[in-house]
Amino acid sequence: MTYLHGMLGNPGQHAFLNALANNGWSVTAPSLPGFTGSSEPRGLRNLHDWVVAASELIDLAGVTGHPVIASSVGAMIALELATIRPEAFDAMVLIAPFGLWDPQDPVADPFATTLSNQRRMLTADPTASASFFDDLEEMPADLLVEHGVDRYLTRSASAQLIWPIPEFGISERLHLVKNPVTLVHGAKDAIIPASYLNKWEQILPNVVGVHRVEEAGHQAEFDRPEDIAAIATSALS
Amino acid sequence: MWVDIDPALYDPEVGNRIYNEYLDELEFAADCGFDAVGVNEHHSNGYGLMPSPNIIAAALSRNCPDTNIVVLGDSVALYNPPLRVAEEIAMLDAITGGRMVAGFPVGSPMDTIFAYGQNPATIRERYHEGVDLIRQAWTRDEVFSFNGKYNKLRYVNVWPRPVQQPHPPIWIPGGGSVDTWDWCAQEDLVYCYLSYFGYKAGLKTMQGFWKKVQETGKEANPFQGGFAQFIAVADTEKEAWDLYREPAEYFFNTCLHVYAGFADPPGYKTPNTVRAGVEGMVERAAREATARAEAKKSSAGGGYPKGLSFEEMVEKGYVILGNPTQVAEQVHELATTMHIGHLMTFCHFGNMNKDLVRYNTEMYATKVMPEVCDLFEDEYEDLWWPQPLAQPALRDVPEVSAS
Repeated sequence: MTYLHGMLGNPGQHAFLNALANNGWSVTAPSLPGFTGSSEPRGLRNLHDWVVAASELIDLAGVTGHPVIASSVGAMIALELATIRPEAFDAMVLIAPFGLWDPQDPVADPFATTLSNQRRMLTADPTASASFFDDLEEMPADLLVEHGVDRYLTRSASAQLIWPIPEFGISERLHLVKNPVTLVHGAKDAIIPASYLNKWEQILPNVVGVHRVEEAGHQAEFDRPEDIAAIATSALS
Repeated sequence: MWVDIDPALYDPEVGNRIYNEYLDELEFAADCGFDAVGVNEHHSNGYGLMPSPNIIAAALSRNCPDTNIVVLGDSVALYNPPLRVAEEIAMLDAITGGRMVAGFPVGSPMDTIFAYGQNPATIRERYHEGVDLIRQAWTRDEVFSFNGKYNKLRYVNVWPRPVQQPHPPIWIPGGGSVDTWDWCAQEDLVYCYLSYFGYKAGLKTMQGFWKKVQETGKEANPFQGGFAQFIAVADTEKEAWDLYREPAEYFFNTCLHVYAGFADPPGYKTPNTVRAGVEGMVERAAREATARAEAKKSSAGGGYPKGLSFEEMVEKGYVILGNPTQVAEQVHELATTMHIGHLMTFCHFGNMNKDLVRYNTEMYATKVMPEVCDLFEDEYEDLWWPQPLAQPALRDVPEVSAS
């Protein structure tokens, strides 16, 4: 399967990806442009460019047509790609996708806040995002600096994707998504309100499963890696 | 105080009074003999009320015929298309007969990213493209097409054109980005460090800029540098301490409250600035505001936290204070240590009333400025100063006949 990461970037060796592997999956986890060690997203000027980049990425990785689990900003891109290229993915598991906007219950602003508060918004348990936010004690000084730059660029890439309001008209295109979709939403998601789970369920044409996961935040796979891996395994097998 | 200030706090009648006082103060400064008066741009801001500097510049343009006007400046990325800036500065240059300086800031994160919804990851690219468009619009002698990433214009043809040729001097207000140093050095633009925190804290930033100038092999002409400084001058030092204490403490401890979450949106800084570990002016303001808020929390029930004292502000150089001789000495120190040829003085800060603003302004203009105004002029040519027409048209409205 393919994992398209969210705002926390590609975690590399991580409990969630390990859990998927332990369930028998071979997981391809590419970094979207600008995130976690990839090059800066120069030349990408709008969401269309990002979707084209993702399309090229899965082709180059040889995972076109594979099942996908996508999270947060990655889920938004996966959905956009599925609207114009249905064969890009097989079944989809989407964790708290961006893309809808309800003025009565708006998505929280994850950028008008301090770094420590943003950390608290991304996972229910702040320690769950240690791989992204924390420096390793044994890191030499020069790598510490670059780790900080990398973290900044990853946060910048998220901002480029969803600033200032993460709504780009996808609701007008979602009827084109024929893939079976399983929706996952952390019950403690501090960015995307709980009501959006129902909105996605109503608007997507082929929802086959809906999971509200307790004790999980926006990036539920970081808070509950084994449980989300189990949901994905069940949905995509 | 910025971005999410409660709209209910705005009083339209006070607004009417305040804008007229601002204009009175600027016109008075011009009458006092300042080389220029300056206006800037902020949005959703409780202490500045200056969303459109060009409107204020227009209001000044005919009432201040003997001074220059520094728009410092138009936040280029916020104008769609930025040609609007090219047109308006050209209009002002035409009205004033060539007395304009065009300042182009990226703009603070509060103004650009939060109040105006610009994308932090792309604003600098958008800004540079906008400045490029404006410069081309002022200098090319043909109708041309501009196919930018953010601006696509089939026909670029700015009317009017600036009086000053090829264009008014361009000053770049910066807040500490190392890439802005590079750019100003390469492009021969004036780098202005508009700091809230005075010349002692600003020295490192200006040294960074001059190092870049030297690396390009160019002369470190002090007139390519600018700096903004709070000034508090009175007949005696004691009088200065008495007069300016409350306004300074009010500004730094109340007005300059920037929520830390608005200070550093991801993408606003360049990777080089992140890598260099340079703290921007807004970040510093937010850090100090957060420290004050935390001190307030920890002192709950134990007395009101004072924030930074006026003595500390003066000691740290946030405010240059004293009698005219003392202020002149400090301004001289500022100019020579930072190698600054253009000094922007904040003669109005905090809750100063208009009488005190006038006093501070007149004292500086008449008793301090003569002591420092010719610094560097023997050694360097100011290549970044307005060049007005020799015989500009002026206001010429006949009296209305009684009949």
